[in-house]
Amino acid sequence: MTFKEFSKFMTNRNDSFVKSVFISLIVSFSVFLFAYFIRLRYVEDFMPKYGFYIFFAILSYSLIVSTLKHIRPYKEFPCMSGMMIGMTLGMISGFLAGFYVGATNGMFYGSVWGMLVGISLGVWSGKCCGIMGIMEGMMSGFMGGLMGAMTAIMMFNDNLKIAGVIVFVISSVILIGLNFMIFRETKGADRKYEDNFFNIVLSFLLTTLTIWISVFGPRSLLLQ
Amino acid sequence: MDFSIWTKEFTITMKNSIYLIGIIVLAVAFGFIMVKGNSVSEEVYTAPVIDGVQEVVLSLKDYNYSPNTVKVQAGIPVRIYLDSSVVGCLRDFTINDFGIRKHLKTPEDYVEFTPTIIGRYTFACSMGMGTGVLIVE
Repeated sequence: MTFKEFSKFMTNRNDSFVKSVFISLIVSFSVFLFAYFIRLRYVEDFMPKYGFYIFFAILSYSLIVSTLKHIRPYKEFPCMSGMMIGMTLGMISGFLAGFYVGATNGMFYGSVWGMLVGISLGVWSGKCCGIMGIMEGMMSGFMGGLMGAMTAIMMFNDNLKIAGVIVFVISSVILIGLNFMIFRETKGADRKYEDNFFNIVLSFLLTTLTIWISVFGPRSLLLQ
Repeated sequence: MDFSIWTKEFTITMKNSIYLIGIIVLAVAFGFIMVKGNSVSEEVYTAPVIDGVQEVVLSLKDYNYSPNTVKVQAGIPVRIYLDSSVVGCLRDFTINDFGIRKHLKTPEDYVEFTPTIIGRYTFACSMGMGTGVLIVE
């Protein structure tokens, strides 16, 4: 179970992680381009105001969705692994979604969106392994969503964009770590099925809703 | 031609290399388009002198003080008000370099001081979430 074997596991098979990330990015950027040419280009100061956060939200979703897609086909993890999976995915997805929406819409709407994404994905990923995984996914999604939006607001006038990059890099490393854990737990076993449709639908939904909330959604009094 | 190199494993490797290159190209291309520009523009406001006092009224814009760069003259008293749009912790106004910290409860409340040394000073709310620069000339 060396790192070399892990990197082969991630990049060198038919249902590889890089393929999932690529598909997710294609879907998300297509949604963005479509929305941009239909509507967003008429929004005043769109790129300076929203471009950065939407770009990093899309990158984050591609990693989150790909990790979730790769975990779902394995259905037999011990409870402790389920807790770790639910907690990591719930926390990271809630935090990132909350952070990027919080940066454009304020604490309340960022928290609500972050909690929604974090709890949903946390529970969804944690349910592979019983009630403990579900509980952990729920709690971490709740906490991550609130923390992400709160961090964005606290840093609003203090290098928020640099913080956005740092948050993304750290989250990516954690998600790769989770994939390594899965690799160790499953001993590199083949997945039971490959579900690209799931990847496409989830990327489409997350990107569409994030763009809509960020640009047209309600925002806190402080950001009006 | 010899196609013996074209094994299943080689095909998978090639495909995944293309995916990897695709990810990098997408990230760089869209990053270049989307991550540019800065919405924060520095609007410099020169405080007018009214009855021997330089008056500045700050309001709230994009969760910060507006204007957030204020130019004043040294040796003349400065009076800073916060209008009714300023809410939350941003009403707790501080300028550390002048030893000022005051909760401006209403738009009529103000802080007053006389800057004597030329330079750039930071004003902020007590939590440092709203910030601005006072330029003394």
